[in-house]
Amino acid sequence: MLSIWKKIPEQIKRLSFLVILIVAGYLLISPLFIPPDFGKYGHFRASAVEEIASQQMNYVGHEICANCHEDVSVIKSKGYHKNVACEVCHGPAFLHAEDPGSATLEAPRGRSYCTLCHEYLPSRPTGFPQIVAISHNPMKPCITCHDPHKPEPPVTPKECSACHATIARTLSISYHIYLPCTRCHETPEKHKINPREFTPSKPSTREFCGGCHSIDAKSDKGIPRIDLATHGHRYVCWQCHYPHLPEAK
Amino acid sequence: MEELIYHLTNILKEVSGYIYPNEIELHWGLLIVIYPYLTGLVAGAFILASLVKVFNVKELQQTYRLSLLTALSFLIIAPLPLLVHLGHPEKSFEIFLTPNKSSAMAMFGFVYAWYLMAVLLLEIWLDYRKDIIIWASSEKGIKKWIHKLVSLFSSDISERAIKFDKKAIKAITIIGIPSAFLLHGYVGFIFGSIKANPWWSSVLMPIAFLFSAMVSGIALVLLIYMVIYSWRPKGINMQCLDKMASYLFYVMIVDFSLETLDFIHRTYEAEESIKILAELVGGKLFVSLVVIQVLLGMIIPLGSIATAKLFKMPEELRKLIYFVSSILILIGIFSTRWNIVIGGQLFSKSFRGLTEYKMTIFGLEGLLVSIGIMLSPILILYVLTKILPPWEEVRNP
Ligand code: HEC
Ligand code: HEC
Ligand code: HEC
Ligand code: HEC
Ligand code: HEC
Ligand code: HEC
Ligand code: HEC
Ligand code: HEC
Repeated sequence: MLSIWKKIPEQIKRLSFLVILIVAGYLLISPLFIPPDFGKYGHFRASAVEEIASQQMNYVGHEICANCHEDVSVIKSKGYHKNVACEVCHGPAFLHAEDPGSATLEAPRGRSYCTLCHEYLPSRPTGFPQIVAISHNPMKPCITCHDPHKPEPPVTPKECSACHATIARTLSISYHIYLPCTRCHETPEKHKINPREFTPSKPSTREFCGGCHSIDAKSDKGIPRIDLATHGHRYVCWQCHYPHLPEAK
Repeated sequence: MEELIYHLTNILKEVSGYIYPNEIELHWGLLIVIYPYLTGLVAGAFILASLVKVFNVKELQQTYRLSLLTALSFLIIAPLPLLVHLGHPEKSFEIFLTPNKSSAMAMFGFVYAWYLMAVLLLEIWLDYRKDIIIWASSEKGIKKWIHKLVSLFSSDISERAIKFDKKAIKAITIIGIPSAFLLHGYVGFIFGSIKANPWWSSVLMPIAFLFSAMVSGIALVLLIYMVIYSWRPKGINMQCLDKMASYLFYVMIVDFSLETLDFIHRTYEAEESIKILAELVGGKLFVSLVVIQVLLGMIIPLGSIATAKLFKMPEELRKLIYFVSSILILIGIFSTRWNIVIGGQLFSKSFRGLTEYKMTIFGLEGLLVSIGIMLSPILILYVLTKILPPWEEVRNP
């Protein structure tokens, strides 16, 4: 035993002493700093789950409201706002659902609230109903004409621009300004009331555009012509020209 | 608040095209540029020292200890920019207590600790051990005790022990090279594995990082060597300098080809990001990438070192060329890090717009702190050379 000890070089002994000191220090100290419940479920403190769960809840979800406000829930579930949750408009309602008497909710009756979602913005998705608040029946609260739980335009919008504002605006500064939307999209009347179930048609062939632009087309003289057989063949026209703002550059 | 708005509106003026709102302000600033720069210098300096040991390059013996100490002093500071950037440095030890094996960033602590303790400190200790013991025996007062402590009160300087030291150093060097590759390859790995960012996501990243690290490390040691030895009585050894310059030259060639390869690969592949990247390189990064990184930091030094060698220029001129080239290279590699870290955040993930980086002067993320961090290794190096002088003449035969 002693002979082996003697054979180990001196520097190794000293280094091992240092290494043992560091390792032992690590082993001794680390339990003091690692929370006892760390790693029970994963790489976190198990009690963190309870801590988070014990935080004050603010929202309850829309199903609960139906227990006491069945009338409203039924109406809303059939209207355009069916996917807008109650608490989006009425605010966090956890306390209200527990004790409606002491915690009352407010209703957003002013114009400014609805415009958060409905003011015209080019980045809103296609077909999302948008208005320009300063010109859309100004001064009156929106709820005088639209039921907030089942909003419907009192009269069916006549113009496509009501819901396709961006496209309409784009088109209105393009070469195609004088083409009505319906020249290219066959639109069922019901599309304006129930847009997702009744969708208009969209042009699907090169010949459709060729109807006006082909060299042999019977159309106005001023219309620029192309040879359908060679011009951008293999691709449909709108892979290169945006139909609502056609450019030839 | 007002300051914040002022800051943002200033950036907004520079934004072009379409970008997402959370991309206006960069999350990784100057400090994160410095961090890979420093680790690169460490890895490079260490690899230079290892070359000396492994291939037994006689001309470079003089630089062996100097590069080890340089590596150490930069390594000590390397994690500092991260600590400053993240805030809460008092919590940083927790990554050691509860290691998260699935996070590459969290494992950095271990890569770093391994490199510092198992490689660099050990090699330095073994190399200096004999000298420290001898110095301690002839010294007095506090210096004696510092040296005794540093030698861990070891006293064996028999033939057998010294032989063992030498063998051990060889072994550590051999482990050390892959470790140095690991340390810096790791930094490249972090960037290279960010899938969502086409500027970073590339398998070449770790390798390109490594070679640029070697370039910068060798350039740094060369520069430090020239500065220090022009003051020392012995003066600059021209053979040593020439050798270092040739190493520098070869590594630069590899680095340059790797970067060119990456460039060709990107342009040939021409993924959907190519347009915005081209706009980036041709616009906001033009000065820092094309002018500083490639022209000043790569082509001019390569060209001038090559001509210095080819035409056998006189000594003084060669010195001047090496000196200026290594400064240019150090600036160029800093620019490389800048272009990777800052450049990678300048374009929108929508590939349709660019934002701008506005450096602040004060504050933790500001210029002054960064300058302080960059200068502190020099100070540490100064102290280290006082405790462990790397000069040949104080070495005991
Ligand atoms: C336990 C039954 C109960 C539940 C659940 C409940 N409410 Fe009520 N709510 C009431 C009662 C009762 C009132 C009338 C209180 C009053 O008039 O002071 C009321 C009043 C309101 C009002 C105020 C009407 C006004 O005239 O200003 C709103 C808005 C409202 N509830 C919304 C909600 C929403 C949204 C939810 C679901 C998150 C909800 N409630 C869930 C019982 C309930
Ligand atoms: C788009 C916003 C919006 C959403 C979503 C919404 N509300 Fe309302 N709610 C209002 C407004 C505005 C009023 C005020 C109507 C008025 O004063 O005529 C109101 C009034 C009420 C009232 C009191 C008057 C009434 O009609 O009985 C209740 C109760 C109510 N909401 C419950 C609900 C419940 C339950 C839901 C979810 C199923 C819901 N609300 C979803 C905006 C909304
Ligand atoms: C959280 C966003 C949100 C708020 C707030 C909101 N709405 Fe809506 N609104 C919607 C959504 C979503 C639709 C359905 C759009 C669709 O079907 O594509 C809609 C549809 C409508 C429609 C139907 C338009 C049509 O003919 O398609 C009207 C009218 C309307 N809302 C009015 C209101 C009024 C009035 C308010 C204020 C009380 C209001 N909205 C507040 C999201 C909102
Ligand atoms: C004076 C009654 C009146 C008021 C007040 C009013 N609207 Fe309307 N709204 C209408 C009518 C009528 C239509 C359908 C015809 C049209 O397009 O103008 C309509 C249509 C809409 C549409 C469908 C898109 C469209 O342009 O057709 C939305 C969305 C809408 N309104 C939201 C609002 C919002 C939000 C407010 C409050 C800021 C509001 N309305 C105030 C009468 C009103
Ligand atoms: C009440 C709002 C509304 C009005 C008015 C409206 N649309 Fe739409 N439209 C929509 C919505 C919502 C969609 C999106 C449907 C979807 O994405 O599933 C849509 C989709 C479309 C599409 C694309 C269909 C597809 O398959 O992608 C076309 C084309 C279209 N509308 C044309 C028109 C034209 C032309 C008019 C006028 C005659 C018009 N719309 C009026 C709401 C409207
Ligand atoms: C010159 C013919 C033409 C006219 C006029 C035209 N469209 Fe289109 N529109 C097209 C074609 C072609 C497509 C299909 C593009 C595609 O599939 O990429 C299309 C696609 C659409 C779509 C669905 C895709 C999208 O861009 O969101 C909507 C919605 C739409 N049009 C609405 C309108 C409305 C509203 C008008 C009138 C303001 C209008 N279009 C006028 C040719 C036309
Ligand atoms: C009803 C006939 C008609 C149809 C159908 C039509 N266009 Fe046009 N187009 C026109 C007219 C009219 C002009 C404007 C000519 C002028 O005033 O310069 C025009 C102009 C153009 C231009 C030239 C713009 C420029 O910069 O000179 C292009 C490109 C174009 N249309 C593409 C298309 C495409 C693609 C389609 C199919 C989706 C299409 N058109 C369908 C009538 C039509
Ligand atoms: C591969 C892309 C591509 C496709 C597909 C394409 N175009 Fe073009 N088009 C262009 C380009 C580019 C120009 C402008 C240069 C030129 O005149 O050739 C242009 C010009 C035009 C012009 C203006 C010609 C003039 O003399 O000013 C019209 C009209 C036109 N295209 C219609 C169409 C129609 C209709 C289709 C579908 C049958 C179509 N394009 C398909 C790329 C394309």
